[in-house]
Amino acid sequence: MSNDPPINSLYLGPAENPYDYRGGKLTHNLILFGGVCRALGMNVTPNRMMDVGQALAHIQLGRKQDFYFTLRAHLVTHKKEIDYFDEAFDLFWRRPSDGFTTLNLQSLGEERRKKKTQFLPPLEASPSENGASADELDSSMIALVPTYSRQERLRNKDFADMTAEELEMAKRVIAKMPDSLGMRRTRRFEHGVGRQINMRRLMKDMIRKQGDVTRLPTHRRKDKPRPVVLLCDISGSMERYTRILLHFMHTLAGSLYQVESFVYSTDITRITRQIRQKNVDDALEDIGQTVLQWGGGTMTGECLHSFNWGWSRRVLGRGAIVILITDGWDRGDIPLLHREMTRLRLACKRLIWLNPLLDVPEYEPLTRGAQALLPYVHDFLPITNLSNLEVIVKALQNLNGRQSADAYRKRYLA
Amino acid sequence: MTLTYNSVDELQRALAEQDYIAERGLAVAIYLALKTGKPLFLEGDAGVGKTEIAKVLSALLGTKLIRMQCYEGLDVNTAVYEWNYAGQILHLRLMEREGLEREAMERELFSQRFLLKRPLLQAIEHSHEGRAPVLLIDELDRSDEEFEAFLLELLSDFQITIPELGTIEATMPPVVVVTSNRTREIHDALKRRCLYYWIDYPHFHKELQIVERKAPLIAPMLARQITAFIQDMRSMELFKRPGIAETLDWTAALIALDQNELSLETVQDTLGVILKYQDDVDMLDAATIQNMIERANVEAQRAG
Repeated sequence: MSNDPPINSLYLGPAENPYDYRGGKLTHNLILFGGVCRALGMNVTPNRMMDVGQALAHIQLGRKQDFYFTLRAHLVTHKKEIDYFDEAFDLFWRRPSDGFTTLNLQSLGEERRKKKTQFLPPLEASPSENGASADELDSSMIALVPTYSRQERLRNKDFADMTAEELEMAKRVIAKMPDSLGMRRTRRFEHGVGRQINMRRLMKDMIRKQGDVTRLPTHRRKDKPRPVVLLCDISGSMERYTRILLHFMHTLAGSLYQVESFVYSTDITRITRQIRQKNVDDALEDIGQTVLQWGGGTMTGECLHSFNWGWSRRVLGRGAIVILITDGWDRGDIPLLHREMTRLRLACKRLIWLNPLLDVPEYEPLTRGAQALLPYVHDFLPITNLSNLEVIVKALQNLNGRQSADAYRKRYLA
Repeated sequence: MTLTYNSVDELQRALAEQDYIAERGLAVAIYLALKTGKPLFLEGDAGVGKTEIAKVLSALLGTKLIRMQCYEGLDVNTAVYEWNYAGQILHLRLMEREGLEREAMERELFSQRFLLKRPLLQAIEHSHEGRAPVLLIDELDRSDEEFEAFLLELLSDFQITIPELGTIEATMPPVVVVTSNRTREIHDALKRRCLYYWIDYPHFHKELQIVERKAPLIAPMLARQITAFIQDMRSMELFKRPGIAETLDWTAALIALDQNELSLETVQDTLGVILKYQDDVDMLDAATIQNMIERANVEAQRAG
């Protein structure tokens, strides 16, 4: 079958109408393209690909634009995926001179110099030739990770795997973890003692009793745990705590309802998806690769600004609780920090500051950053000797007694 | 589905006749939604014309628009159906005198007569009349996960089960348009069942076209100035950037004030139509506005 393209090659139709594929070649290419999209982190299921196949029957395949939008409408489910998708689409469906093109991922790297790119090729991409096996293709595609293009070199953070004792401790801590950091009354009802009459139940009762009312069934508003947003400082001064704090964030994300996680130093990065992985080592490795600003200076004001502008409306709904984890050392714009803290405080139900810089018992929050943060937080939780997760969890357990920041404010603010 | 549009071009033209300027991608998504019967999931910032699409579609297809505004705590009783309890109780008292059997009583009480149909049930029932309605599920991000899960079930089968009555199935599934402002992430499972489209802010020429369509009597120069000014404003770092809805409101405001061109004073007086946050208004001092007007003038001259 010399006419069939190799398994990792793209087959293109006749020159006069390159998008008019016949004889199953289009399906072949689509499946390959679906694989590329999956490697980029999009959720492409076989079902979706079948939908694409059906939808293509309705459009004119000759029009590249329509073809593009059909694929996009089916495969993309999130705005941020559009950029990845666009670039993958351009590279994948371009017309090569010989009618065959290998899916050599290094070509993505070459393209990178010409235009701004949203993803980098895997660092050690094997130069796969025409004869490359399907396995090789597969492994090189999985290594393709979406990331932002940056001038600075990608600095990976290396977290050692958890030791057996650490895992043991994590289990103990999870068992002690509070179920929630606060409840919120929702607008939904559940059966129970309340002030409103449950008409539906009443009607059923009446019919059962031939029209007699013997009791008035009621319903009450349902309570739900509040969503939690974690903002963790990973700048240089926090470096020694970073690993333990990420463990803590992982534990929290796994045991509480609706946790959004962010890390920041000079820039803020959302790590909600990465940290949700079950295995803590996988999660940490993934975060190490995604986040680029490890151990830099702290620009809390600037980072909170991008959080307030870009994320707060999406993650601070429904009376969220914000936990800010930082030592209060700040190199950024202080007036900006004041403005952004005001906004942050207004946008959430409760703002908790977890401060790990308390190895010295007589620590006082006197740095510029700390002085700027203190007026706005509802709770100030200093943690001495942050050596393990149990210490943090203990601090959070105390939270239900409302350890207010007032005492600290009186003592340390002019 | 009896649809008369046989190509994306035709649909795009028809949309334009309804004064809706859709870019190609959106037209393709709508076309496919109509052809394959998949719900259309539209995301985008507030005021870019998500809701409008459903209205235009219903006008285009000559069918009823059934709108369901989502909010937190939206439940089956408000979204699907509810029994008319007052009517039932009254009827129950009357039946008691007749001494009916329990089964007969139940049959009578839980019949169509006492059923209050809410939007989702309406959307399914109306399909019986030959032409499927357009069902707009607006701002889904405001509802909670419970409702989202329910919707998932509805959108895959287009049938509703009422325990007392049985299952009601749509013979012709409605054209479903779901919108979201992204104040919360919608679950992937729901998005996967839909055709996803992100509506962006329009570029200059598209927005100008929209302004001219919606306000045909406007002076051409003013229309260009307004569009250029708003486009300029969107490039600023604002907490809430103005959408097309704001552009059109502002256009209407300037026409109502009998303005022929932008001036510092009018812009300052009408800023509240475009910007809804005090922080954003504070960013635009007199000098900034003056600069923006000048830039808008240059842009308008060039486009003219």
